[in-house]
Amino acid sequence: MKSRAAVLRGIDQAWQIEEITVDPPKANEVLVNWKVAGMCHSDEHFVTGDMVPPQDLLDLMGAKFFPFIGGHEGAGIVMEVGPGVTSVKPGDHVSASFVPSCGRCRYCSTGRQNLCNYGAGTLMGHMITDGTPRHFDKDGNPVTMMAKLGTFSEYACVAEASLIKVEPDLPLDAVALVSCGVATGWGSATKRADTQPGDTVVVVGIGGIGINAVQGARMAGAKRIIAIDPVEFKREKAMEMGATHTFASMAEAMQSVNELTWGEMADRVIMTPGVLHGDMMEEAMALVGKGGTCVVTAISPMTENDVKMNLFQLAMWNKEVKGTIFGSLNPRADIPALLDMYRAGQLKLDELITKRYSLDEINEGYRAMRDGENIRGIIVND
Amino acid sequence: MKTKAAVLWEVNAPWSIEEIELDPPGPGEVLVKMAASGMCHSDEHLVTGDLPFALPIIGGHEGAGIVEQVGEGVSWLEPGDHVIFGFIPSCGKCPSCSSGHQNLCDLGAAMGIGRQIADGTSRHHANGQDLGLMCLLGTFAHHTVVHEASCIKIDKDMPLEKACLLGCGVVTGWGSAVYAADVAPGDTVCVVGVGGIGANAIQGAKLAGAKRIIAIDPVEFKREKAMEFGATHTASSMAEAFGLVQELSWGTMANKVIMTMGVGDGGVLGEAMALTAKRGRVVVTNIHPALETKGAGISLLDLTLMEKQLVGSLFGSGNPRYDIPKLMGLYREGKLDLDGLVTKTYPLEGINEGYQDMRDGKNIRGVLVYG
Repeated sequence: MKSRAAVLRGIDQAWQIEEITVDPPKANEVLVNWKVAGMCHSDEHFVTGDMVPPQDLLDLMGAKFFPFIGGHEGAGIVMEVGPGVTSVKPGDHVSASFVPSCGRCRYCSTGRQNLCNYGAGTLMGHMITDGTPRHFDKDGNPVTMMAKLGTFSEYACVAEASLIKVEPDLPLDAVALVSCGVATGWGSATKRADTQPGDTVVVVGIGGIGINAVQGARMAGAKRIIAIDPVEFKREKAMEMGATHTFASMAEAMQSVNELTWGEMADRVIMTPGVLHGDMMEEAMALVGKGGTCVVTAISPMTENDVKMNLFQLAMWNKEVKGTIFGSLNPRADIPALLDMYRAGQLKLDELITKRYSLDEINEGYRAMRDGENIRGIIVND
Repeated sequence: MKTKAAVLWEVNAPWSIEEIELDPPGPGEVLVKMAASGMCHSDEHLVTGDLPFALPIIGGHEGAGIVEQVGEGVSWLEPGDHVIFGFIPSCGKCPSCSSGHQNLCDLGAAMGIGRQIADGTSRHHANGQDLGLMCLLGTFAHHTVVHEASCIKIDKDMPLEKACLLGCGVVTGWGSAVYAADVAPGDTVCVVGVGGIGANAIQGAKLAGAKRIIAIDPVEFKREKAMEFGATHTASSMAEAFGLVQELSWGTMANKVIMTMGVGDGGVLGEAMALTAKRGRVVVTNIHPALETKGAGISLLDLTLMEKQLVGSLFGSGNPRYDIPKLMGLYREGKLDLDGLVTKTYPLEGINEGYQDMRDGKNIRGVLVYG
């Protein structure tokens, strides 16, 4: 079938709306009509090249990366299922899951679906099921799908392993937000940082991830939540979502966190800036108190290896640095669980959406994100 | 197709070896040629009625074999693959499977019904009747058809007559110590009942670094075996163990007490709690009769004042798809003894003799090996 999609043809280019061809689903695959796509910063990382696999690696694997369809936050409706699909049927509402979960590998079997072995091919290659492409541009070239989802296309053929069935009473824009940004931020504060009642928590960078780390810290009972962002609008949003203090930079926060905590500094520091660079870690670790935890959630350029950090203090003060993907949550358990917190009025989702765009307005939406105008913009396909 | 199976037609009757009719696998199902099956005490619970499953039923839930045919939609298994069955299925999608508790998979709800997971019907028939399957498996048979959710694919280097034990007893015992009891280096651990489960609780406690392991069993042969598996002391009863543990621990008692008796008895749980230290934990792994009504005679004041813990454990709180391959790896490295567990092997026709040996306390584990 034909579908309209936002296609990226190379680094530093604009998204182009093109008509693509989507093949029907084969075994264990599902044809989805994406109704809502979140405009996450991770997709911008392909425009800047931060997340594009290096050319020598692509050459080694004999793979081509572009053309590329973005979008990995999404919610939609199942149109058709291939043989062997048992967890969804046509008409079901589904959440995308940018990390698939096979349910059988070592990580899926131990409560770490966020590390499913199927995730190995997230950034390149084609279908999880058999490695062949289902999506082609107008010249017949195979198209790479962001996270095997490509929610910036109206229709996509997706592995069953990447879809989570959700209840039809839930608004699909809420589902789309939870599928990546909300879960990642919320889990960074709750599961990975393990925020405890009474903690002091610092969240660095208030975008679609950071704002939900603030929510997670609030729900986990943090006493103080210090949100750091250079953009005033974002600091205001952070206060609405549960922050108790805000600062424009880590340097500006340092003295105040020291005073607020009577010199003990923060129990948890969660790094959620738009792009994380190694030289930011020195200040971040200085904000962490004795025995405290720094969680690294943000995306750094793929080949950046240098980090500035005081290792003496790491050892002497028993600090820890932890990475996290998807907030260390399990998509199949936690996406429905978060949506039920939304239903109960505990988790705020509607307040996260700054603006809705059509697929044709995608470049305007990303400009607004770059200019700090949006907490989260979403694409809505009518 | 025709195959042979051990069928239980009524409570307190012997297993009956029958030629049965086996349908081909439906969607999501797998036909397996069985190589071996452990003779677990849980199947005996079918005979005594402690596990009140619908009859007639094909027994056996500790099995390993080779895939002969896969039904539509089975993408990750093919004929020739070696498989162990998890006695509890794991769908990989439900909330329990999705959070590291595959032992509590929602598909387990079908276990009491004993019919196929996929559609609730039966593939096994005899005398014009549908046959149930113990744990949705029915491993007391030369062939069976099961759902893919019950299959764990394993490497082909593993001897299947040993591998079968990993489907239930070994992981249940080992995990009871390692996961459910959370044995820590330096702990004092009591294991109450040394059969196919308890022997592995001892192995788990040893690997987890227990300082002292006190194995409790009335049968001398089992106490001797316990020492081979890593126990440091033995006693013939909890009453006898009490003074021993008191002396050994300078009065602080055991950090962990693991209940792995042939049949659980609420009346002795008070003794188990008395063996337990402050903040210590009692793990209830053994099966209690479903209709047991006499209650558990324990001091609830102890729970509060001593912060003692009483927890249940199914499949050793392990994840079949993770722990079965993991324990195979430990066997390969010589850190888990499976060979010593198998006291005697029997053909399918020897099943009633095997269970008599179990009742007589002669076996740690008897295994049915199919030629």
